[in-house]
Amino acid sequence: MIPLGTQSGPVESPFTPEQQQRFDAGLARAVAKYPPDRRKAALLAALHLAQDELGWLSEPTMAYVGFRLDVPPVRVREVVTFYTMYRMRPVGRHQIGVCNSISCWAMGSEKILKHCSELLGIHPGETTRDGQFSLEEVSCLAACGNAPAALVNNFRYVENVTPESMGALIGELREKPGTEMAKGPLPRMPDPHLHEQSQGAPQATGSLDGPAVSTHPEAGSTEPR
Amino acid sequence: MPAPKLLTKDWDKPSSWTLETYRQGGGYQALPRALKMQPQQIVDEVVKSNLRGRGGAGFPTGMKWNFVRKETSFPKYLVVNADEGEPGTFKDREILLRSPHLFVEGLIIGCYAVDCHLTYVYCRGEFRDSAMARLQQAIDEAYAAGFAGKNILGSGFDLEIHAVFGAGAYICGEETALLESLEGRKGYPRLKPPFPANAGGGLFRQPTAVNNVETLANLPVIVTLGGDEYGKIGAPKNGGTRLFAVSGHVKKPGVFEAPMGISFKALLDEYCGGMREGSTLKAIIPGGGSSAIMTAAEAEWASDFDTLKAKKTMAGSGGVVYLDQSVNMAHALANLMRFYAHESCGQCTPCREGTAWLSRLLDKIVAGKGDKRDVDNVHQIARQMEMKTICALADGAAMPAKSYIEKFRADFDALVRG
Ligand SMILES: Cc1cc2nc3c(=O)[nH]c(=O)nc-3n(C[C@H](O)[C@H](O)[C@H](O)COP(=O)(O)O)c2cc1C
Ligand code: SF4
Ligand code: FES
Repeated sequence: MIPLGTQSGPVESPFTPEQQQRFDAGLARAVAKYPPDRRKAALLAALHLAQDELGWLSEPTMAYVGFRLDVPPVRVREVVTFYTMYRMRPVGRHQIGVCNSISCWAMGSEKILKHCSELLGIHPGETTRDGQFSLEEVSCLAACGNAPAALVNNFRYVENVTPESMGALIGELREKPGTEMAKGPLPRMPDPHLHEQSQGAPQATGSLDGPAVSTHPEAGSTEPR
Repeated sequence: MPAPKLLTKDWDKPSSWTLETYRQGGGYQALPRALKMQPQQIVDEVVKSNLRGRGGAGFPTGMKWNFVRKETSFPKYLVVNADEGEPGTFKDREILLRSPHLFVEGLIIGCYAVDCHLTYVYCRGEFRDSAMARLQQAIDEAYAAGFAGKNILGSGFDLEIHAVFGAGAYICGEETALLESLEGRKGYPRLKPPFPANAGGGLFRQPTAVNNVETLANLPVIVTLGGDEYGKIGAPKNGGTRLFAVSGHVKKPGVFEAPMGISFKALLDEYCGGMREGSTLKAIIPGGGSSAIMTAAEAEWASDFDTLKAKKTMAGSGGVVYLDQSVNMAHALANLMRFYAHESCGQCTPCREGTAWLSRLLDKIVAGKGDKRDVDNVHQIARQMEMKTICALADGAAMPAKSYIEKFRADFDALVRG
């Protein structure tokens, strides 16, 4: 059981000893950036560190990160669900985010998305059955001059992409180990739910033969009729 | 007059981002001069320079710094907005990648001016391994050279600089959401007042100047030229040059330094090589996705903050998108509105519901399932969202929604039934 309120006792670490070492060192560096009475400010950084190791943030991982910074799990969860770069479900070893904001869209990003969809056999928001790739549609990456732009595994920019270059990139990622979302060995099993939508970027629907993307925002609750 | 290169003069040099290159071009000569001035003198020069914030609102930087200086609560902070997320905007990333030291020098001068000894540069999370890595390298070099840390250049001024990063949320570019995020929380904009510059409103509730990367990159130039000289470049009350981030159907997209107030036609023809082969200009997004659209006939408009405000749009973030005849503006608006619906933080009902409604209505229209009333409804919903919310995201969604319909109604009508 994950307690929702304040922690009552120590929370077990989700890391292997090697991961633990990297996490602890990173956390010490992040905390040192803030005044001593403001350690909680390092929460975003700490979550990134945990995700770097594990690829995604499970409930026990969130509870542990919160425990290390004296932040209640419910506050951690609030942060994790707010920001799109955090993953609350296992995603593919490689995550490809194609920008579909205005400049990239004007320069043909929907074609790129459609091409990726076809290559991988998934829609934006999904993960391939073999757990290798997730595809997402992402918001403007501040690379609009080199549109269309894409982002691999949260931090790697690829710009001026074409259907051909995306194909080549996917091939390259498949073959090169060490470039994936998480550093350590992945505590992830092929999972019957993998083919479901991953949490994060805009949710997409549509069929592979229709337009690649038609996105329905989660925000809001009222359907115009 | 050929445009002076104040911010971009090193950009094309090999390894332009290193301390060595920056110093060879005269870098870090403004800092010792600044440290010999009184902090208030620097702020006075900035006031004279008519420097306007480059993050979007165009607020006079000198005035903002005077607000912070007047506060009597210490410590005070300067926080840098490097969250660049406005659709169509990509100039801060270029500064960080190509001349991070220009920014760092400006940052140090800015901190000295507002009496800040601990500063944070909040980068968008996606920048971590690229633009932020360059920035971190520059910060490390600055420390090693004695430009940051304790007793900078023997002046007695101490400054700690930290680069931190977010985790993907456009709203964290809004200054109070940024502060929330920096404090380790979700990025909910704060209700103002108190404003960040005032006690109770800033980082850790202390008086805080939040400034954009490009804004600060101008500081070494202002100290070197003096406020008056700097202010002569550009337009009245809009000092200096601006980095225009141009994208869309132009021959040569990219970041161009041009005097504030250059017309959109001159920017297109003289800097971007005009429209691409086969493209005719149809519409201009003048200052990021949140700004009201301009028609091709309006390309003569000057690009300074005051002119565009008078024309009911805005100079915003300096992200200029030139669109050609192949674009149906209803589709373009539907694309933008998906962005706002996704990025609304959800605190305010008019914004949360309004952006979602607009997005769905526009998706319906572009799917060919709408009628004329849907188009009118988009316009009306947008009007009702304005000026009612905690932050300006809702207005930034309403402005394009209204203007795209007002100026390109035919594009919408072509998609809907009677
Ligand atoms: C929704 C929203 C998003 C914003 N995004 C950014 C941004 O990405 N970068 C930025 O510098 N300013 C952004 N701003 C403007 C900031 O709130 C603030 O005005 C600016 O950082 C102040 O710096 P300046 O005075 O140097 O321009 C945004 C504002 C709003 C309302
Ligand atoms: S206007 Fe929108 S983004 Fe801004 S605080 Fe309100 S709900 Fe959040
Ligand atoms: S619109 Fe795609 S990077 Fe800006």
